[in-house]
Amino acid sequence: MAEQIEAAALIEAVQGFLAELEPELSGRRAFHAKVAQNALAIVARELAQAPQAQETALLAGVLGHEGRIDDLRAELCARLRDGRAGVETPGLVEALLGVALAKCAVANPRYATFRRLAV
Amino acid sequence: MAASPTSEQVAALIGAPVTRIEALSGGASSATYAVDAISGDGPPWPLILQCAATGSVPEGGLPRRDQALLQQRMHDAGLPVARVVRILAPEDGLGEGYVMERLPGEALAPKWLKQPQYEAARAGLTAQVAAVLARLHAQPLASVADLKLPTGSTAQSLERMFANYRRFGVDSPVFDLAFAWLRERVADRPATQIVHGDFRSGNLLISERGLEAVLDWELAHLGDGHEDLGWLCCNAWRFGVWDKPVGGFGLRVALHEAYEAAGGGPVDPERARLWEVWGTLKWGIACLQLGDDHVSGRLRSVERAAIGRRVSEVELDLMHILAHGDV
Repeated sequence: MAEQIEAAALIEAVQGFLAELEPELSGRRAFHAKVAQNALAIVARELAQAPQAQETALLAGVLGHEGRIDDLRAELCARLRDGRAGVETPGLVEALLGVALAKCAVANPRYATFRRLAV
Repeated sequence: MAASPTSEQVAALIGAPVTRIEALSGGASSATYAVDAISGDGPPWPLILQCAATGSVPEGGLPRRDQALLQQRMHDAGLPVARVVRILAPEDGLGEGYVMERLPGEALAPKWLKQPQYEAARAGLTAQVAAVLARLHAQPLASVADLKLPTGSTAQSLERMFANYRRFGVDSPVFDLAFAWLRERVADRPATQIVHGDFRSGNLLISERGLEAVLDWELAHLGDGHEDLGWLCCNAWRFGVWDKPVGGFGLRVALHEAYEAAGGGPVDPERARLWEVWGTLKWGIACLQLGDDHVSGRLRSVERAAIGRRVSEVELDLMHILAHGDV
């Protein structure tokens, strides 16, 4: 452990604080306090699961070379836009399904489609 | 946006006394109010007032006055749509909008999709919405020729949606794959029918008896009626009831059969599926737009920021469809 209080512990502490605050709020603010706790849960999962590393590896596999995630995304999108890539590109659908799973596992693991696919 | 309307202002608009006005929702440019009025011979007259800043409809969008006229004509044609009582004029000083009747029922889809008292309503709903769409799509275009309904061929609409996606400067390989997939498959069709444009479970008003009204006609346009059949089935409107693709309450084959039985013309299930993919992508781009509200500073809010992450739900739905045929 590099720090006594790591990022995950800070996130949990702020989530707890928001939960304490919630009964004192009403209407839109109470709703936003719930959304904020949920947003922190996303941050916590993103730190734990590192979905961008998974995406980088999957995109590099399809494109056949390494690169930064932004560059790999831009290159693949450019190929899809001008017709050099498509559903018939070998491994593309499988790779993008993997990317989408990794991202949804972070953003909303309770989403019905995620639960159907992640069994 | 003008200041909140007073009881006297609304009473003058509708020519009847007003006992209560309550803001139901309000954004930067538009607001909805519940109005309790008393009709001529004494009984309560529940109304809705919708008003928005002049110029708040984006260029090429359906003007609010024309939306009200469309709603009124669909009501007169026998569709379940709230009757329009009064269209706002510039001299009313309330911006653009209209007053319509407030009908009883539940508009929150997660409630009527799950609560037991709506079970009978849900059982009959697929046939009811199919009949509404059949009737809407059968309306002659001549009946709305004077309204500024947005229009365009399917190819033009797809390119417009792509341009909208590119506005955000986001590179989503899943979205681009879906665009490529659609471009290969969507036949270019001219606009031949009135399309509601936002026909989903969240825009249905439901009572224990069933469908009371179809709400929110602001995205109505001319196009391919199959668009409504596909949009209704997008996963985002099922609220977790994923095994009932029609809005979380029905099956596609039942929707299509009931649509044909109600005189809606033959359904091409593959074309409806393409519109479902299209609709899923369109919802994904709407999520980008909502996230952009936060990122651009137009409307900084934790809610907008969080909703931007719903893009990943859409990406997963799209990949499920491309890998397994549907979702």
